[in-house]
Amino acid sequence: MSLAGYEVEVQRDGGLTTEEMTLNMGPQHPSTHGVLRFIVKADGEVMRTAIPDIGYLHRSIEKISEKVGYHGFMPYTDRVDYVSAMQCNQGWGMVCERIAGIQVPRRGEFCRVIACELGRIASHLLAVGAMVQDIGAYTPFLHALREREKINDLLEELCGARLTFNYMRIGGVAWDLPAGYPEKVTTFLDKFDPFIDEYNDLISYNKLYVERLVNVGVVSKEEAINYNLVGPNLRACGFKYDVRRDEPYSIYAELEFDVPVGTGEMGTLGDCFDRYMVRIQEMSESGKIVRQCLNMMPPGPVLAKVARKLKPPVGDAYIRVEGARGDMGWYVVSDGSEFPYRTKIRTGSFAAMSIVDKVSRGLMIADLIALIASFDVVAPEVDR
Amino acid sequence: MQEFIDRLIANGAFAGMPVEVVYALMMLLFGLVVVFGFFLPIAGVTSWLERRVWARIQSRIGPNRVGPQGFLQWLADGIKLLLKEDIVPDAADRPLFLFAPYFVVWGIVATFVVIPFSSNLIIADMNVGILYLTAVTALVVVGVLMAGWASNNKWALIGGIRSAAQIISYEIPAGLALLPVVLLTGTLSTQGIIRAQGWAPWGWFAFHNPFTFVAAFMFYVAALAEGNRTPFDIPEAESELVAGFCTEYSGFRYLLFFMAEWGNLYVIGAVATTLFFGGWQVPLWTDSVVLLNISQFTVFFLKSYLWVLISMWVRATLPRVRVDQLMILCWKYLVPIGFVNLIGTAIWMVIWPHGNRVVQYGMVLLAVAVLVQFFRRVRFHLRRARPELYYSPAI
Amino acid sequence: MAKNGVARYFKNIKDAVTTIFEGMTVTCSHLVRKPYTIQYPDRVPVRVQDTLPFRYRGILEVDLEICTGCLACERACPIDCIVIDAPKDQKTKEMLLTRFDIDIAKCMYCGLCSEVCPTGSIHHTTEFEGADFSLESMIRHFVKAPVVAYKAKKDGETDPVVAPILERGMRYIQEFAEPADMKKVKAEGKAAAA
Repeated sequence: MSLAGYEVEVQRDGGLTTEEMTLNMGPQHPSTHGVLRFIVKADGEVMRTAIPDIGYLHRSIEKISEKVGYHGFMPYTDRVDYVSAMQCNQGWGMVCERIAGIQVPRRGEFCRVIACELGRIASHLLAVGAMVQDIGAYTPFLHALREREKINDLLEELCGARLTFNYMRIGGVAWDLPAGYPEKVTTFLDKFDPFIDEYNDLISYNKLYVERLVNVGVVSKEEAINYNLVGPNLRACGFKYDVRRDEPYSIYAELEFDVPVGTGEMGTLGDCFDRYMVRIQEMSESGKIVRQCLNMMPPGPVLAKVARKLKPPVGDAYIRVEGARGDMGWYVVSDGSEFPYRTKIRTGSFAAMSIVDKVSRGLMIADLIALIASFDVVAPEVDR
Repeated sequence: MQEFIDRLIANGAFAGMPVEVVYALMMLLFGLVVVFGFFLPIAGVTSWLERRVWARIQSRIGPNRVGPQGFLQWLADGIKLLLKEDIVPDAADRPLFLFAPYFVVWGIVATFVVIPFSSNLIIADMNVGILYLTAVTALVVVGVLMAGWASNNKWALIGGIRSAAQIISYEIPAGLALLPVVLLTGTLSTQGIIRAQGWAPWGWFAFHNPFTFVAAFMFYVAALAEGNRTPFDIPEAESELVAGFCTEYSGFRYLLFFMAEWGNLYVIGAVATTLFFGGWQVPLWTDSVVLLNISQFTVFFLKSYLWVLISMWVRATLPRVRVDQLMILCWKYLVPIGFVNLIGTAIWMVIWPHGNRVVQYGMVLLAVAVLVQFFRRVRFHLRRARPELYYSPAI
Repeated sequence: MAKNGVARYFKNIKDAVTTIFEGMTVTCSHLVRKPYTIQYPDRVPVRVQDTLPFRYRGILEVDLEICTGCLACERACPIDCIVIDAPKDQKTKEMLLTRFDIDIAKCMYCGLCSEVCPTGSIHHTTEFEGADFSLESMIRHFVKAPVVAYKAKKDGETDPVVAPILERGMRYIQEFAEPADMKKVKAEGKAAAA
């Protein structure tokens, strides 16, 4: 890619010539979450610009939908954001149901919400764990992964896979809850709330950790809205917007949960620490949602009857779901055949990548790592 | 050691050889014994133990296949790295690149000369022992800078420069933390410092007065920073710079850097024990010199290794500090506190030239209270999490 | 409290010491906890494959005894990893299965094929160890010699060899949710409410 407009600055300082260093935080790097590349111009430790270079994980998923059809695309949606695959399944299911006029049974909606919220906990665990590891603490990452393994076990019992779930179908979900499942989930959640407290004791308020994150990468509310940030990134700036609360879909309107917002408790509002804390608090909220769903689940079918060759009417539909990384937009244009004419997925990580350059001016290289980790950027979402 | 050799010569052991040659040969022999009999095994076993301790802290197991409980893992790793290709980047500065690991290892191994293993086991009881220690560990800076520069890799360069800044800066607090002890004993010799302490905790310098108590921890923190250990492992920050200054190294040269780091852990522990925690002091429980020396060696080794275990534990718990925060910590926090300690100890010595028994007992009680509170919190965490317990370290 | 200043200085020191102390108590408490690791594959009490749930989507397997040759799985597969040849035998007018290849390297273990199988002949097993040395071994050939496709019997299966296989297959596909006609469900709900 060309670096036109980003030429190196040469300064003459009383006879001493200094230059900026151009560093390449390449696609292979232990702490860019996936294959992301940054071209960093640094004056010693302080960065002048950090230009993201994306596209290393582009797999033409949107184009693939035009070949495999509506039903067949469901497994591919898992791969759009493989860290929180359930919400992607839901997005695709909902947009096809919208465009084809299919109604999901009530129990199916509850199953979907349970799966999505468990998936959200798993995704946030990975996000905060990876963030902590990038800052240098190795232990909390593994503790978070241990809890994520427990969720993976739960979801494996539910749908048979640990990462690429393919749990939902157009019209509901593929499997009902197995026998004894609510007890297992409740057991897990009972152990999970003390785990979050322990995690906070271990690392969240650790002085060294807090000092790494406060006042780093401050994003104001206006900037966040202008740059299209969504999800925890947006809520950390103090703007209380959650698709589940503001444009409720599925059965979220009946559930009681809080939307954590950044408070600037340790530093400035909208810094990395706020983004981190919002994710920690969201995990507890998701736990609450799952408990409510388990209590409120009605009996009944979980899947609606849908034609094997789904031929929706000509038109388009746009659906928003609250993914773990924020508001995911799913857009489908149908031309009446069994294959979509065009699918477009709008993900939160793509927007977060765009703000990295602006926010990273003046930060140190170590802060760039903390910044990317706090935006919870995953490469598959950026490149699809 | 010198008296030992002199006694041997007087008894006619080395018939006819000039004294200088005997000394030279003996120096070589002791050097080899220390390096191959002590330093290498300690560094290796520390690497294995670190992985096992880390693993338990992280809810996993660690190496347990190669040998009983994975004890030979470090040998296997060492042999594997020996057999690996020694890659020297094409554009790297070849002589500097090849030579850099040796400086780092020299800096660490040379400290073993003054480490007092027991009252009679010390290679050279120099009367400037502590000064020699701080001087020789500074050789590591040269090695790290050479490694960073010669790699012809911008990331390695950043790592090398960060490390140089870090080690040089933290020499100051480390030195300042040593000085109260030197004031108290009036000597720089390591054996002299130990002899000035008692075998019981209230005889140790750490609990002598509040200022040396703070100085003990300050020394430990500064020594951790000098050894590039988390929370100060920015030069080799894995998640930022891949491997920092040793990115381009492979094979045995890479191993040398890490052996130096693990060996340095032991040196930190040994020096902290010598200065603040009584060294090899044991009550005179036997008349036999050999038994006494063995018990002293054991006590010293256990005390030093306890600090090694604490280093591993700290590494597992704490995140990394950023470079500018590292500098702030050093210059704004540790150096002023170091000066306060120094002046405080000097004033203490004026007021109570022979130490204050009450304060010493009080400090020991304070330390015990802190430990008790620590284990009460551990029990709280276990009660809250209600996990499945498994006490045995062997899995 | 001022951003800078002496009070802030001492608060920083106090915060650092107390939070590091707290963190170290947590890690110390982990030293006596049971590790979460499963020492696969040799130090597990039960084979891992036998501990996995029935719904686990491992490597595909085809029970040719109950395959009806409907080709629903081949059509449903989003990645075209199933290749079936089911010609009609000219003489006996029965459907023959001459080729049933599944490329387990291509397969993405989504379960769409097993969902549409009418008898549960193609199903996921709990096997996940498929690594091998050659690419050819990644294609599993399930037809050794041409067989006649299965035809479901109206009064249930009586053949003692086929019956258990069919039973397992049906049990597998009964795990999948039964699609309901939402109009009927709605009407029933209205009738029940009325």
